[in-house]
Amino acid sequence: MMGWTGQLLNVDLTTGRIWKEPIGEDLLQNYLGGRGLGVRLMRDYYRLDPFAPEIPLLFSVGPLCGTAAPTAARLGVVSRSPLTGTIYDCSAGGRFAWRLKAAGIDVLRIVGRSNSPVFLQIDSSGAKLHPADKLWGQRVGETVAALSEHGSVAAIGPAGENKVLYANIMMGEGNSVGRGGLGAVMGGKMLKAIVVDGDGKVDIADADRFAHARQDVIRLFKASPVIYGDLGIAQYGTPALVDLMGQRRMAPTENFRKTHFADAGNYSGPAIRKEFTPKNHGCYGCPIQCKKSAQDGTPLPEYETVNHFGALNNIKDLRSIVNSNNLCNQLGMDTISAAATLSAWGEVRGEFPRAENIGDLLLQTALRQGDGDLLAEGAQRLSQQLGKPELSMSVKGLELPAYDPRGAYGMALAYCTSNRGGCHLRAYPISHEILRKPVATDRFDFAGKARMIKIAEDCNATIDSLVACKFSFFGASLEEYAELLSATTGLEYTPQKLKEIGERIYLTERFYNLENGFAAEDDLLPKRFFTESGSSGDGIEVAPIDRERFVEEMQKYYRIRGLNEQGGFVDSTFLERQP
Amino acid sequence: MIRQVRKYLQKMATDGSASVDHSLILAKDDCLLWQGSAELLPLGQTLIERLNIISLVVAEPPLPICDVLLGRTSADAAEIIPQDTETRTFLHDIPVVRKDEFSVDNAQSIVDLLGQRKGILVEGVGIVATGSVTVEQAYINYSSVYHALFVKLMLQLLADDQPPSAQEMNLLQPLWAQLGTDIPLHCDDLLAGPLLEKADILKAIDQVGKRTVALKLVDSFFGNISCFVDDSLYISQTGASLDELPGCIDFVPNDNSSTAGITASSELIAHRAIFAKGNLRTILHGHPKFSVVLSLFCRETDCKITDCWKNCDKVRYLNDVPVVAGEVGAGGLARKVPPVIDCGIAVVYGHGVFATGDEDFRQPLSAMIDLENRCRNEFLQAVQARCTNETK
Repeated sequence: MMGWTGQLLNVDLTTGRIWKEPIGEDLLQNYLGGRGLGVRLMRDYYRLDPFAPEIPLLFSVGPLCGTAAPTAARLGVVSRSPLTGTIYDCSAGGRFAWRLKAAGIDVLRIVGRSNSPVFLQIDSSGAKLHPADKLWGQRVGETVAALSEHGSVAAIGPAGENKVLYANIMMGEGNSVGRGGLGAVMGGKMLKAIVVDGDGKVDIADADRFAHARQDVIRLFKASPVIYGDLGIAQYGTPALVDLMGQRRMAPTENFRKTHFADAGNYSGPAIRKEFTPKNHGCYGCPIQCKKSAQDGTPLPEYETVNHFGALNNIKDLRSIVNSNNLCNQLGMDTISAAATLSAWGEVRGEFPRAENIGDLLLQTALRQGDGDLLAEGAQRLSQQLGKPELSMSVKGLELPAYDPRGAYGMALAYCTSNRGGCHLRAYPISHEILRKPVATDRFDFAGKARMIKIAEDCNATIDSLVACKFSFFGASLEEYAELLSATTGLEYTPQKLKEIGERIYLTERFYNLENGFAAEDDLLPKRFFTESGSSGDGIEVAPIDRERFVEEMQKYYRIRGLNEQGGFVDSTFLERQP
Repeated sequence: MIRQVRKYLQKMATDGSASVDHSLILAKDDCLLWQGSAELLPLGQTLIERLNIISLVVAEPPLPICDVLLGRTSADAAEIIPQDTETRTFLHDIPVVRKDEFSVDNAQSIVDLLGQRKGILVEGVGIVATGSVTVEQAYINYSSVYHALFVKLMLQLLADDQPPSAQEMNLLQPLWAQLGTDIPLHCDDLLAGPLLEKADILKAIDQVGKRTVALKLVDSFFGNISCFVDDSLYISQTGASLDELPGCIDFVPNDNSSTAGITASSELIAHRAIFAKGNLRTILHGHPKFSVVLSLFCRETDCKITDCWKNCDKVRYLNDVPVVAGEVGAGGLARKVPPVIDCGIAVVYGHGVFATGDEDFRQPLSAMIDLENRCRNEFLQAVQARCTNETK
């Protein structure tokens, strides 16, 4: 078997037992790795409470990890989200995934709960648990510094220890396992960090075919203005989108009351470049290098973060935004959810937090002190507890990112069909509705969007299982990645076959969610988007979304997915029929 | 969606890439929609229902280029490797299905190949192409395959060891008749420069975009157009249809004070580098077929470069027009074109033509038409001579 190690490493934190077991080839070939394999391995556990000791926390690499496939040094982390209650996965890059695979492991499965803080050390010779009492309470940077001599580190910060519902797991190189609170799951297990240092190599079945496919991918990257263009993400990072979203009048502002922020230029890509003269860096082995840092190494924020700590909270100060980003990283919290929760809190109170207070609020949140205890619950719970549930701009409890759905109707639909809640990355229609890749679509028209979203969800489920970065697909397509996979494994994969795998993964996730009580009424945007206009101007009208038309397209989506009118499964034995 | 189906069926007829009587577009929303040739429907329906796609084009070019090309291709060849750079970049190769490998009832071989590639060649049917996002995407893929096959065949007729036979020449007779008449130098009605105001610039870009498509100086509708004024560019967006440019022009300040132009054409880098030479105001980039074909016709001998389209460092000439190699976007074209374009026009090997103007778009369009006419004439004479020689 090429491409996979075929090995799953179990770690039971309750008993301290550590053992390997083989993963069936059937599962590997039909779920690939990353998100897909992780989701499949949750089949017997998806009903468990996210903080139940028995809930697995899975770190799953993909068949391309460890090869020179562009952007494939990634893994998926999978469990059930304490924030949303949905099945949850997050893709993250960095050296960690590479080193885990090099230790001969496709999946690391952590179950149980330790009585005291521990960290897990893995290398090619085995794995061992160590006390981490001295690290408990430390920020991410301090933890990484203390452990990095042993390899690549994945750690939680105080937010994870205190079960902030949107706590991240942070990779030592600055990547995050973000959004759904898997850091809190890890904290609930009293696992402070994992350090890996495998030194094995991944063999490739057909090196010439692989090299050819890799050349094709790089050529497509070079042809993509979004990736390697003068104004693309390799140059400016994702804040390259600030100006574009402003021009399209779809930058969420003041908890989505508005869609245009006059001071957004303060934190645009060019403004960040002028202020910080950034250094390029990025995920291990990635040719794009879209991440940026200041000369002193301080990580600079992504698009979502600058918008949400900026416009969404009515803050125009770039330094404040950079500090908020850095503090979230150090405390181990998701920047989108943290900023969106602060924004909802601000609207409920009638006053958005001031830039100078954000740092204290983030610290209180991570430590669950004062107002922070409520802020740590996320926008949905906070708004409900404060009697204003309608002010949570979230879907299935996940706070919406920085693309206002009134400015892109495919995005509106995709926020609702996403199995992990209001996420932009599951179908990523911004790619065609705004960035014109692979072709442009009319962002103010629902026509055809249901099937576009369905196909994109299938594709992206596959991409998250290979595991590759979605930014690659601003240039390349599944055609080239199917070639890379075939060359690596020696098994023939086509884009069509990969989409079938993606469909299986998507439907499995939805099945889990429905079994856990989610229903069609959860596939809906907050009322604001159907009743209030955005900030029209510059010849662009940002009207409320036509709810009737939205529902009609959602019904189409259900039909295309083979679901019933309630978005449910016609066949209750779906899961049993899957590999 | 049905509006889109009708629109692109019409476009295929207008741009001359598909026979009106033998073309079909299907689209899947929550039900199947289609327009075009009913005789192709059973096959089209079989294919689209078995693929995770949105749209499908099944059509045959009006000229028998597929048949002639297949006649020149080994019977056991599984695919055709395109010669033109754009198709090589975006489609890689074009799989081939032979007549005896499928039927409407058993189209698995076609399904399998369409599951791998965006467009394929099916003997006896024509070109079949898919789209996974829009109807337009299937049209683009169809058109790209058509362009690739056309260029490949023309180059073979011109330069292959096997000269064109009388039968082939006869089959392609309508094409020779077309080439016998020049593309009209229809430029003087375009907005005259200097182009200084935004409204004028947008109007001029719209005009020249429509004209470039109408004169078939592009494949499908691709190409890009820009105008430089006040240290900024107005440039067509990536993937924008040159005959539908209103609303699809990005304003890009040269000082990079805004990144809103991230959606600008992938050739923004090349346009900027050309304008950096100074004194130029307009650029028109298209893919006129015979300029592309002749750019591929290299008489070099004993050259060790195999991937000419990206690795050739030589400057060759089509008459007096320079030809350079270079991949699209950030792949090298932007470095290779500016040094050679002082004469106002340059060809990128196997790709297309960049033409410049110092006031408006009359000059670059005129230069592009002139070059294409010269290439058409030269090609026609050369091919006819080869066929004649063969007959002798």
